[in-house]
Amino acid sequence: MKILIIEDDRDAASYLMTALDEAGHVTHHAGDGDTGYAMASSMDYDVLIVDRMLPRRDGLSIIESLRAENNKTPVLILSALGEVDDRVEGLRSGGDDYLTKPYAFSELLARIEVLARRSAPAEAATSYQVGDLSLDRLSRKVTRAEEDIQLQPREFRLLEYLMKHAGQVVTRTMLLENVWDYHFDPQTNVIDVHMSRLRSKIDRGQDNPLLHTIRGAGYMIRD
Amino acid sequence: MTDGNGPTTERARPRRLALWRTTTFRLTAIFVLIFVLFAVSLLGYIAYQSSILIQRQQLVDIERELGQLNREYQLGGTRALVLAIQRFARGPGPGIYFVADPSGVGIAGNVIDVPISVLEEPGQHTFAYERDRPSFGDEDPNRPEARGMALVRSFVLPSGYRVVVGRDIVERRSFAVIIFQAFFWGVIGIIVFSVIAGAISARRVLRRIDAIGATSRMIMTGDLGQRVPVTRRNDEFDGLATSLNAMLDRIEQLMQGMKDVTDNVAHDLKTPLTRMRNKVEAALRDDRDEDAAKRALESTIEECDHLIKTFNALLMIARVEAGTPASAFEQTDLSAVANDVGELYAPVLEDAGLDLKVEVPESLSLRANRELLGQALVNLLENAIKYVPRPDKGHSTVTIAAREAGENVILEVADQGPGIPEADRERVLERFVRLEKSRTEAGSGLGLSLVAAVAQLHKGRVEIDDNHPGAILRLILPRQTGETAA
Ligand SMILES: Nc1ncnc2c1ncn2[C@@H]1O[C@H](COP(=O)(O)OP(=O)(O)OP(=O)(O)O)[C@@H](O)[C@H]1O
Ligand SMILES: [Mg+2]
Repeated sequence: MKILIIEDDRDAASYLMTALDEAGHVTHHAGDGDTGYAMASSMDYDVLIVDRMLPRRDGLSIIESLRAENNKTPVLILSALGEVDDRVEGLRSGGDDYLTKPYAFSELLARIEVLARRSAPAEAATSYQVGDLSLDRLSRKVTRAEEDIQLQPREFRLLEYLMKHAGQVVTRTMLLENVWDYHFDPQTNVIDVHMSRLRSKIDRGQDNPLLHTIRGAGYMIRD
Repeated sequence: MTDGNGPTTERARPRRLALWRTTTFRLTAIFVLIFVLFAVSLLGYIAYQSSILIQRQQLVDIERELGQLNREYQLGGTRALVLAIQRFARGPGPGIYFVADPSGVGIAGNVIDVPISVLEEPGQHTFAYERDRPSFGDEDPNRPEARGMALVRSFVLPSGYRVVVGRDIVERRSFAVIIFQAFFWGVIGIIVFSVIAGAISARRVLRRIDAIGATSRMIMTGDLGQRVPVTRRNDEFDGLATSLNAMLDRIEQLMQGMKDVTDNVAHDLKTPLTRMRNKVEAALRDDRDEDAAKRALESTIEECDHLIKTFNALLMIARVEAGTPASAFEQTDLSAVANDVGELYAPVLEDAGLDLKVEVPESLSLRANRELLGQALVNLLENAIKYVPRPDKGHSTVTIAAREAGENVILEVADQGPGIPEADRERVLERFVRLEKSRTEAGSGLGLSLVAAVAQLHKGRVEIDDNHPGAILRLILPRQTGETAA
């Protein structure tokens, strides 16, 4: 993936670039708002990582300009501000996701990978298939190896989200945000308990488990 | 005094506003000017109108006397006319009388000479005259000699005699002078009076503005407790002073909040930071094996995360206390919040051996910040999980309830744990306060502070109650919040 990082803090930027390189991505860096905007609008990137407070031009205005030019590159906003209304403001300006500093790198990586995939048009699928597990979004039926699995509505949404991002790491915060629509840090193991329940419903008694825990990052469903 | 230190002293001690530079003074001046203009035109108009009136009156008098003379003439001919004129001329009045024979020679009257043109042409005339000394046949030596201007009417009798009757208009002029003088002094009086009145009222206003200025200077030197004096007059200045004071209250409150936060940060965040530093230092010192170093690093990250969490919680409390813009308020279904958060936490509660009951109406909507209400509810549930011991036998229930109560909406979490002693119920809402018996559980003592801040943001409050046994933590929120949330 080709990623542009617009971030004025040199240390933070070089840390990000090294880590993303190691994860197998190509990164470019812009140190201020003007350069960042020029690079973002003249080159094709899969994801933009934009710091909110930048010299010369603030992050939100870059995003607004790009969106006004019909540039749909997914944007992850990084910010030291984490209040609910800051997030709302960020997303309203055209950002696709919002991450508060300081963050764990695994969280950022999971989010940009999901973002990059989101721009691909597989969005409107009516059913998902992972191995012998299938989920039908219309009839709300879930089967594994031809056998029906009964899920609670919330469990269904959890599985739906995981399957939509099959093969990708999904963090606990992402699950909380997308399945429950809350943006706080779950303090205890709330999400883990839900996951273990879901796991017991779809993986119990199966030889090859589909739901995997990725240590230090989150979860992934894959064949 | 040198030029050099002029500006410095000026800056050091803000000068009282010069009277003539104040708005009030200018307003007063304009007011005086308008008033004087008005008075001048009014008095001028009156003077003009009265002089016209007097002239008209004089003409009426002249007309009347002419009528009398005419009647005398008709009854008794020229002789009676001359006698009547002599009688009139002797009288003490201001009248001017003259009669001349057809050749223009005066035969009776009280003026020495009348211009020929006046005699020739009947009608209205004005001319300079000289009053006759004792008029014809009249030997009164006391009668003063006089000159003046006369307004007269003249006419020619059928017999060729000419009659002139008039009035002195100098008198009318002196009347105008009197009016003008009265008028002049009147205007002077008005100016003096209104300048004095204006200056006094300007002084009063200035004094009050100065009081506000003095207060603000004291505040600038650091005494945030100062307030602008409010009088009992209840006028615009008091309105201004009251809202300034309200603003100062709010600022002081925010400053206090800031100070609390920094104090807390200094006190409660330094300790874990120091611990962390010591640990890393120790790990650096002994270079036994890589595994130990890695473990030390991992535990450092863990402590870091904990610190970040505490820090975030602190910041969030501070920001919630400072008040988010009302834009973050939306029509929120409290029942949905309770159901969602309840559902999110149900498995964890169950793992902790607690039953969850959610008792909410179908829907309960109010203007609120949904995220923050959710967060508050999460904090309450996490406390229940931490502080309610796992029951040995039987059930221990945690109840989330939401209901309406008059003007308010109530959201509460009740547990059947140890409860919170009455004496600690207020204290426990403060930052970093943890009760002695809870030290074994992880936590930083910020959970309930955020709950309290969220309640405050919604213009509500937190109430802690006894559940016999257990604790009830109750958020009481007025229904009408949002728009007015500061
Ligand atoms: N449901 C409860 N039952 C008994 N005691 C409680 C309960 N809730 C809170 N307390 C007491 O109030 C104290 C303050 O609670 P608060 O939630 O503010 O902090 P904390 O739980 O200790 O830490 P944090 O929530 O920041 O992780 C707790 O330490 C505990 O002693
Ligand atoms: Mg707590």
